[in-house]
Amino acid sequence: MEELKIGFYVCNCGTNIAHTVDVEGVKEVAAQWPEVAIARSYRYMCSNPGQEMIVNDIRELGLNRVVVAACSPRMHELTFRNACRLGGLNPYLFEMANIREQCSWVHTDKLVATEKAKALARGAVNRVRHHEPLDPLSAEMCPETLVLGGGIAGLTAALELALAGHPVHLVEKSDRLGGNIARVDLTAPYFYSARDLLADRLTRLRATPNVSVHLHTQLKNLSGFIGNYTATLETGNGDSAPRQKTIHIGNVIVATGYKEFDASRITHYGYGKLPNVITSFEFEQMLRSGRIQTQSGRPPRYVAIIHCVGSRNREFHSYCSRVCCMTALKYARELKSALPECYVSDIYIDMHAFGKGCEDFYRKSSEVKTLFLMYGKNEQPVIRKADAKDDCEMLIEVDEKLSGERIEIPADMVILMVGMEPRPDAGEVAHLVNISHDKDGWFIESHPKLDPVATTTEGIYIAGTCAAPKDIPDTVAQARAAAARILARIAKGKIEIDGVFAEVDPERCSGCRMCNELCPYSAIEFDAQAKRSHVIPAVCKACGCCVAACPSGAIKGRHFTDQQIYAQIEGVLA
Amino acid sequence: MTEKKKLQIALYWGAACGGCDVAVLDTNEFILDVAAAADIRFWPIAVDGKYADVEALADGELDLAIFNGAVRNSENQQVAELLRRKSKILVAFGSCAHLGGIPGLANLVKREEILTTAYLANASIQSGNRTIPCPETNCDGKKLEIPVLYKRVYRLADIVDVDYFVPGCPPAPEQVKNVLLAVVQGELPPRKSVIGASDRTVCDDCKRSKEEKKIQRFFRPFEIIQNPDRCLLEQGLLCMGSATRSGCGVRCPNSNQGCRGCYGPPPGVRDQGTKFLSALASIIDSKDPAEIEEILSHLPDFTAYAYRFGLPASILQRSHRS
Amino acid sequence: MSFEPKIVGFLCNWCSYTGADLAGTSRIPYPANVRIIRVMCSARIDPTFVVQALAQGADAVLICGCHPGDCHYSEGNYKAMRRFPLLKQLLKAYGVEDDRVRQTWVSASEGQRFAEIVTDLTERVRALGPSRIHPELLNDQRER
Repeated sequence: MEELKIGFYVCNCGTNIAHTVDVEGVKEVAAQWPEVAIARSYRYMCSNPGQEMIVNDIRELGLNRVVVAACSPRMHELTFRNACRLGGLNPYLFEMANIREQCSWVHTDKLVATEKAKALARGAVNRVRHHEPLDPLSAEMCPETLVLGGGIAGLTAALELALAGHPVHLVEKSDRLGGNIARVDLTAPYFYSARDLLADRLTRLRATPNVSVHLHTQLKNLSGFIGNYTATLETGNGDSAPRQKTIHIGNVIVATGYKEFDASRITHYGYGKLPNVITSFEFEQMLRSGRIQTQSGRPPRYVAIIHCVGSRNREFHSYCSRVCCMTALKYARELKSALPECYVSDIYIDMHAFGKGCEDFYRKSSEVKTLFLMYGKNEQPVIRKADAKDDCEMLIEVDEKLSGERIEIPADMVILMVGMEPRPDAGEVAHLVNISHDKDGWFIESHPKLDPVATTTEGIYIAGTCAAPKDIPDTVAQARAAAARILARIAKGKIEIDGVFAEVDPERCSGCRMCNELCPYSAIEFDAQAKRSHVIPAVCKACGCCVAACPSGAIKGRHFTDQQIYAQIEGVLA
Repeated sequence: MTEKKKLQIALYWGAACGGCDVAVLDTNEFILDVAAAADIRFWPIAVDGKYADVEALADGELDLAIFNGAVRNSENQQVAELLRRKSKILVAFGSCAHLGGIPGLANLVKREEILTTAYLANASIQSGNRTIPCPETNCDGKKLEIPVLYKRVYRLADIVDVDYFVPGCPPAPEQVKNVLLAVVQGELPPRKSVIGASDRTVCDDCKRSKEEKKIQRFFRPFEIIQNPDRCLLEQGLLCMGSATRSGCGVRCPNSNQGCRGCYGPPPGVRDQGTKFLSALASIIDSKDPAEIEEILSHLPDFTAYAYRFGLPASILQRSHRS
Repeated sequence: MSFEPKIVGFLCNWCSYTGADLAGTSRIPYPANVRIIRVMCSARIDPTFVVQALAQGADAVLICGCHPGDCHYSEGNYKAMRRFPLLKQLLKAYGVEDDRVRQTWVSASEGQRFAEIVTDLTERVRALGPSRIHPELLNDQRER
């Protein structure tokens, strides 16, 4: 057992700590503790001279453990670990005591605060005795990528990777590529043809040899960890028996898209009962065919467009589906252009025109003589079949908010702007790739602001509407972002895995299998032959759940071992 | 011609049920070999002898003393200390000596409550009778003493220095043989070891299949017809095998009964009850507090189950009620 | 001099420890009785820690994790949630008063709330008095 030489440093942090805690007193007490080779105090430990003090002491005094009593480890643990590394000491042989955020800044009595600082310092010193040197592991990074979903997000991401020279497996459940934008005619606000956008992607795709397209294919299983995944794909179009294929990949981009809300769920809109109540996608079909007409084959004289069908609705989905407002305005413009005599009413709650060019688009739409009627979230319009005496198919009653009146408008055709919702298989996909989804079913990103395309599972990225409703520009941006992240990983060639993870001691493990299902990352494999469980270090996130739950104490949580924690408990209570 | 000196051994029971002595006798013919190879100087259940005989021995004269049962009263302590003085090797034999055993559950209540229930307030006591045993009484001018019932139950190692621990309630007869042979052959592991047992848990030796540990409902053994090939816990039947040292031959699960933990915790686990609690609760298949409470309500008395054999050995050892 | 409870707190790094730090940056005062030990997730908290802290002289133990549904590791706090009712049962059998061990959820933005929780716990435990578990009496021969 090596002789321990602990370096103890307590920071004044200017007056932030020193004003309340008797820093010198803490230093003097610590100097007396067993195995503390040196105890120092300094104004700002995190400063260059402060860190150099640690570096020099390690080199000159042969310190093999370092404790710094200062601010929160969430501030400077990395700083001081780095100082240890510079001094030649493994960065994990270091511990901090938080005597600022959790002591000097919240207590006023100096005596009491100082006693507490001493207790916290003692806890840290006790604990650091049991720290062990930890080194990161290294693994290969496979340059092949799996892209789930052949819509605009998947196609864009696949192209980005393929054009950079790396193999991509593009997996699409249906019989064709294109996803939802293949059902769209023109896009708002610039009226780009969705067909052209898609054709552009598909042409480039065919020109590169790096993309293997798998139609009628689903992901059946994914195992492994970032840089080293094994995926099982199953292809079957119903005609013959499904075929399975195993591929090895480094990363996965989930771009499975969305499905539209089922309008028949809102009964007072009459979808599925009244023949000329159609959804936005059904109207797109008409636009693509070039013929806008009712079921009877005649062009409509009165068209009403209703926003927020299934969205912003507590009964169905409380969120906004983001693209429908601009799409509705697009319909208004296209209707007035194709049928100048047609009366177009746009029935909306709020007009969400936040994107680039969208406010101008809105303004232009109001200039083409569209009737805008505003309704309240809780007072939805009601559609009913008109009587024979009325000169139209249907009548729509709207509690119009701007005028404050109850208005009845005629309609030969009603276009319901159905919202976006997660696909029914989203939960299954999330489970397969080990990511989470929120209460609405959208996949959860690593950080909504700072990391929108990564997930908490390393190597799994999300792009496009599977993460939340969004338009084509944002979808394409995310797809390219996800691809760029993967390219950066591939460029590094190897993946460094943090040395902090859980370890199963095979001498102690009895194969009870309490742990396997507990791990939220499926990081613990069970070897049925040997009857032992084993943690995959690269997948383990070191939460410690298995360590606490193992009934035979066979799992050790590196850097958060039972021994370390017990020592810390003893120290803070001494 | 020198006669090889026979092994000098003693066996004693403290607060015990007799099962450990029976376990020794259950080694069947082997006990005759023992009798041939050793002088049993003291074994109250099987051989005549008085405390005075033990007191007359020289210190360390006994090669081996096997003490089963917990230390519950002053007599247990006196004999424990006596046997420690007189023997080279003292073995804590069985759950009671090792961990406190079932008598250890008395640590959940107060001595006064035990005496009241046993001697005053239960249906089989003639009403009005208020006789409680006292350590000292005067009888015809003479002082009569009986052992003092301690406030709580102790493990043997809480009272004297113990050399080896043989777990089990009782230890499997096969293990008894192994232990005695090890002593005879002088092949003992380092002092303070647990012997006659494995270093893994019962799951290691249990033949039932282990597939997925998720509990949606606990069942009492009589409530369902169990699958004899599948892990009991996975069927919602309480079994503490995952938190219990192996070596017993999996006799309870093999008899379709959940392990009750009598061999104590595996090495590296300080408190069998809290560790098993951690494991068992973690695998409850629910995220809803009310549902979790409902599932747990099917456990009639978890504390007494988890500490059936090891309460005095637990970190907190006993109830700390005022 | 009034009794000053010694409280050990186990806080998860991502939510509750950060919440406690926020109380600090916001300079929200609270009693100095709690000594915080950081773990990465409330799922790491073995009930044995709680019992060990009590055995070593803690008058109370506080366990804090992320709010259910918000765990940084997806489900860790659910494991903590599942363990607590049984631990409470055990502690009750051991004669440990209900108010001495508390489990609660504190988010990274709840600095004020953390201070309130610690204040409330400290006062309740002060009213209860010192823990009846004395480390030096665990093996006291005089208890016969």
